Amino acid sequence: MNLIFEISEHGKRCATIRTPDVKAVKTDKKYLRAEKPALPEVSEVDFSRHYTALSRRAFGVDNGFYPLGSCTMKYNPKINEEVAALPGFTRVHPLQDEKTVQGSLEVMETLSGYLAEITGMDAVTLQPNAGAHGEYTGLLLIAAYHAARRDFKRTKVIVPDSAHGTNPASAVMAGFEIINVPSDEEKGVDLKALKKAVGRDTAALMLTNPTTLGLFEKNIKEISEIIHKAGGLLYYDGANLNAVMGVVRPGDMGFDVVHLNLHKTFSTPHGGGGPGSGPVGCKKALAPFLPDPRVEKTEKGYKFVYGKKSIGKVASFYGNFGVYVRALAYITALGAEGIKSAAQHAVLNANYLKANIEDLYPTEKGRHCMHEFVVSMQELKDKTGVSAMDIAKTMIDRGYHPPTMYFPLIIHEALMFEPTETENKRTLDEVIAALREIYEEAFKDPEYMKAAPHHAQIGRPDEVKAARQPVVRYIKN
Amino acid sequence: MSDYLSATERETKEMLDSIGVKSLDELFEDVPADLKLKKLNLPAGKSQQETMEIMTALSQKNKVYDIILRGAGSYDHYIPSMVKNLSSRSEFITAYTPYQAEMSQGILQAIFEYQSMICDLTGMDVSNASVYNGANAAAEAMLMCCEKNRKTLVTFQNIRPDTLKVLKTYARRRGITVKVLPVPGGAVDLKALKCELGEETASVYIEQPNYFGLIENAEEIGKAAHEAGAKFVMGCNPIALAILKSPAECGADIAVGDAQPLGLPMAFGGPYVGYMACTNKEMRKLPGRIVGETCDHDGNRAYVLTLQAREQHIRREKAFSNICSNQAYCALVASMYMSAMGPDGMGEVAEACVSYAHYLADGLKGAGLKLKYHGDFFHEFVTESDIPADKILKALDKAGILGGLKLSKNEILWCATETLSKAAIDKAVDVVRRVK
Amino acid sequence: MKILYRESHEWAAIEGKTAKIGISDHAQKELGDLVFINLPEVGATVKAGDVLCDVESVKAVSDLYAPVSGKIVKVNEELEGAPELINRDAMGAWICEIEVTEVPSDLMDEAAYAKFIKG
Repeated sequence: MNLIFEISEHGKRCATIRTPDVKAVKTDKKYLRAEKPALPEVSEVDFSRHYTALSRRAFGVDNGFYPLGSCTMKYNPKINEEVAALPGFTRVHPLQDEKTVQGSLEVMETLSGYLAEITGMDAVTLQPNAGAHGEYTGLLLIAAYHAARRDFKRTKVIVPDSAHGTNPASAVMAGFEIINVPSDEEKGVDLKALKKAVGRDTAALMLTNPTTLGLFEKNIKEISEIIHKAGGLLYYDGANLNAVMGVVRPGDMGFDVVHLNLHKTFSTPHGGGGPGSGPVGCKKALAPFLPDPRVEKTEKGYKFVYGKKSIGKVASFYGNFGVYVRALAYITALGAEGIKSAAQHAVLNANYLKANIEDLYPTEKGRHCMHEFVVSMQELKDKTGVSAMDIAKTMIDRGYHPPTMYFPLIIHEALMFEPTETENKRTLDEVIAALREIYEEAFKDPEYMKAAPHHAQIGRPDEVKAARQPVVRYIKN
Repeated sequence: MSDYLSATERETKEMLDSIGVKSLDELFEDVPADLKLKKLNLPAGKSQQETMEIMTALSQKNKVYDIILRGAGSYDHYIPSMVKNLSSRSEFITAYTPYQAEMSQGILQAIFEYQSMICDLTGMDVSNASVYNGANAAAEAMLMCCEKNRKTLVTFQNIRPDTLKVLKTYARRRGITVKVLPVPGGAVDLKALKCELGEETASVYIEQPNYFGLIENAEEIGKAAHEAGAKFVMGCNPIALAILKSPAECGADIAVGDAQPLGLPMAFGGPYVGYMACTNKEMRKLPGRIVGETCDHDGNRAYVLTLQAREQHIRREKAFSNICSNQAYCALVASMYMSAMGPDGMGEVAEACVSYAHYLADGLKGAGLKLKYHGDFFHEFVTESDIPADKILKALDKAGILGGLKLSKNEILWCATETLSKAAIDKAVDVVRRVK
Repeated sequence: MKILYRESHEWAAIEGKTAKIGISDHAQKELGDLVFINLPEVGATVKAGDVLCDVESVKAVSDLYAPVSGKIVKVNEELEGAPELINRDAMGAWICEIEVTEVPSDLMDEAAYAKFIKG
């Protein structure tokens, strides 16, 4: 389809504004640009058709099965969008007097309280704008904590080899060095290696639990002991909280700091890649360092408070407020029981899918997975030449979004399935049948699968060309 | 309770049977029993109707003003109907990062178009797919510019306070020094700047217009930065860029800013979207997602996430930045706004802002306030007066008007946009005139 | 001129006091289509085993290590816009030239390297 620039015609107008009814003031020429920006010029019908066409070439949770592991593509309730669009929330300036924004402050304070309860933490900031941003913020808290104790030698952050790439990247941005620890045979943290890695320079261990393989870290108590004994802190990457919320809390597992992803666990939409929100919770000892400002409930109502020891600000204003409104609506609707039930059904759906394909799509044996599981297609690739990527692309032809591919890095030819709790059994049954057929197809017609997708918007794109000679903007011929 | 699950009891039972377990609890056997939670201390779940009522009641505890004379980083602009309508299509809202290009061409093309528009607006060669917000864009730019032996950022007291705070947070743990120069006249003092630049200066960051609304002589500042071997980073209001010299024309190496004014509501501070664009030379250091054009094996035009080897999921601890998401949805809204308004519409909005702001400034002068600074301004300006700011703002609030932002006991930062009218401004001025 | 290899698959073609540095054909094949190379800085001194620069393929980035110690006197700027030259002719596409101060003793000659990659 055309780019909006390619349907642009000089002189066409779409939205128009009222002509100012005061004297026109011209800005001094010396400040003005030589030419108007070359933005598109389209009529309203062109505009509407263009964006409708783009939306038809997008695939969201509303379009179908979306088992993108680690991303928790659960259903995004419609009521969330409606409440977030209420004028009482959207038409409010962030720098209004506190007395005039009591509703917004109550949203923030209530949500923080709910998240503290769900994670077992003592205090929560909502400010970080995404999961990675939350990691960064959490690590700054850890740095501030050690610095306040004048324990300046704690410069290292331990990260398991199965971790999300953001973990080491965030830790480096927060000024730490990284120590990688391997996984053991059960794909958990190798305790022996961990014991060797910790020391007086250990600032923290970053852990996802359930791990990125979708397995609960059984040795969590031992891990917590090893880290705390060494004087380090335990950081919880909340990417996989959806599996265990209401069942077990990071705070009770021994974690000191946690970040959440409201766009994963709490049903706020992913929006094609953002905005997300990455609140950070922590134990009492770290609370004084939380970003400014925090919201407090007092007898006279809600107010902002600023901490003397705060790490400062990590984002403008108070973070992605509109996302908080959605998350609060979600938790309000689910309540204590619903939160737990969501986790249980996320795990149920994952295990149901796993149980019905694992004879063909091999995964960790003899254990139940949590909300997701990782299969390795290495054996199929050895036998047929069909790779995890080819399976993913064949799924596209059948109208399903593929699972996460080639992550975690420690599994060869990995596919990571996370159906989430909102998926229904009928769809799962269809997907199971489809995946079983696809497996058979790999033996019958591997070449066809290697060229998949055949019925998508495009065939496989040439990524080498895109990266070698980057074309990253439209340029008029 | 509404829990959005779709399994009936019968289906749940069938699924448990198929897995070979008796209960949901059995699936959590790996969780140590003594760690398991008895019950969350949260209210009981609510019906959809109750949820709507609760959330609506909360929203009504906020005060919504009809007339808004406050900016300072969040701006009230007219949002075209087609932007609100088309952006609310659920395919856009419920999609994820377009990892699977074959089924995500719509999202990818939308981002490519956004990148192109940001390049048009800023004059830069490359834009990323957006970052969290304007303050974070400035912080990421600061990190981009740092080299082994150049680790100082020079900036000024006339940038947004939030931006400065975020810059300081990001600098602290990376051994970066943030030098903040005073601005007695409101705008950048070129002579003072030149004295501060040195071999350790990695970058100079200014905002255009600056926090006080003044238009900076950006070209001169850029020249000074480059003479010292430093990079020049400009944080610009995107509405102002419809008429002001582009960062490229001013010699900027990196252009950043908050694109909230482009169709996003004030929404108590977010979600907004930071834009980030740079010259070709800096492209490989640019953080965040970037969409590129290529073709598929049949030669059809195709869009993909590209230059991914820069990013954290590949470079891990060696990545320049930990950013992985963008604000795709907000970027989509911003690009819809730019195409709905077009170059002429954007220009008209910018000019309306300028005209109303000057009309407001004149009115307030007539009401006894003084302009604190004397330079040319865009749509914001600072007044001072003997009457306490609080008194003025309180009187306006009573009249249903959100006055400017109090900067100090006697100083107020005002803003005017195209949402105002002569009548609205006259009303506000009249209120101010009566304050004694 | 003699060509010596490092276990991490870089080669050094040593002639007198200078060595041209590149990566082996085997390494090129393992890395796949290269899309970018971050060339090292002229004037910098490196020790054998230091990270010299990195190369990017679509989905990976790999560090290249200096096979010899010395000062970088020249880089092959042609590669900047055309990293595919390494894919086409790994032994011809040199990355940089080093004024050699030290050649480690554990580098392999052609035959030893051939044996090494066969495992």
